[in-house]
Amino acid sequence: MDETDLRLDGNAVAGMLAELFGFEMTVAWGACANCGASNQLGALLVYAHGMGAVACCPSCGQHVARIARGEGRWWLDLRGLAWLQLDETARISG
Amino acid sequence: MGRLSWRLAEVAEVRPETGRVATLALEVPGWDGHLPGQHLDVRLTAEDGYTAERAYSIASAPDGERVELAVERLDDGEVSPYLTEELRQGDQLELRGPVGGYFVWEPGRGGPLLLVAGGSGVVPLMAMLRHRAATGSQVPARLLYSSRSLDDVIFREELERLAEAGDGLTVTQALTRAQPPGWTGYARRIDAVMLEEVGWRPGERPLAYVCGPTRLVEAVAGQLVALGHDPARVRTERFGPTGVP
Repeated sequence: MDETDLRLDGNAVAGMLAELFGFEMTVAWGACANCGASNQLGALLVYAHGMGAVACCPSCGQHVARIARGEGRWWLDLRGLAWLQLDETARISG
Repeated sequence: MGRLSWRLAEVAEVRPETGRVATLALEVPGWDGHLPGQHLDVRLTAEDGYTAERAYSIASAPDGERVELAVERLDDGEVSPYLTEELRQGDQLELRGPVGGYFVWEPGRGGPLLLVAGGSGVVPLMAMLRHRAATGSQVPARLLYSSRSLDDVIFREELERLAEAGDGLTVTQALTRAQPPGWTGYARRIDAVMLEEVGWRPGERPLAYVCGPTRLVEAVAGQLVALGHDPARVRTERFGPTGVP
């Protein structure tokens, strides 16, 4: 088993992203700051671990987001994301 | 917080599907439905407070407050051995959801549908097929499903019944490791030739959903695009290294 077998996609972190953003984020669109490709977050390549996840652009492989949590805090590194578009209809309501 | 918050479900039934896979039927008070293809997160908490969370695809069509998961036991797993072997009717389980919106299908999204599964990757696709049948949808659908052996085919009898209904669904099985005598289905891993034989022509613009072990999903998605299918109509869900067929 190598890195390929462990690769997941944005679907795998839908629960964590919903907790963080309050939106169903797998249908949100984001653009890679490196290559410009826009994808729904469900299509991102994701490497998940106990503390969080790293999401990569499916077009060029660059990191678009790093998310970690621990001790009651979240850390977000979104340098690889040029923009993020959330659809109001994807807001998770009470 | 509704769907975002953790809540308790009660186990209504644990039903073996194969030697490694069991269906967990859960009663979730206040459950307000889901879309086929969505999953939910399950959280187990040990006596010392240690928690483990896993996402499991929903196998059932929307049906009131009842939700079914189909869980594959991973021998070195932290969560799945408990869910498949120790959980009993009446036990409580902590969950949140439904979550996910990318890998979902409803009849209104149209078709024709090409569903490609490896191993337990059939679970979210089964939710789509059950919903399709329950709503009387006539959207043409083809399922290509790869398993190690006939005994590893999840939902085998139900899939046969669904395919015999004559409502535009075909089910094609590939058995990669062992085939029973007289097997007339495929006896190899899914490849481009198989996708061309079973799948729709690119000009028919199918909606493709591919789910299973990461290697299978990436190979199949690549082959579909190479055959000329629109990448925007090929949706994937990677299950990681689990249940490699």
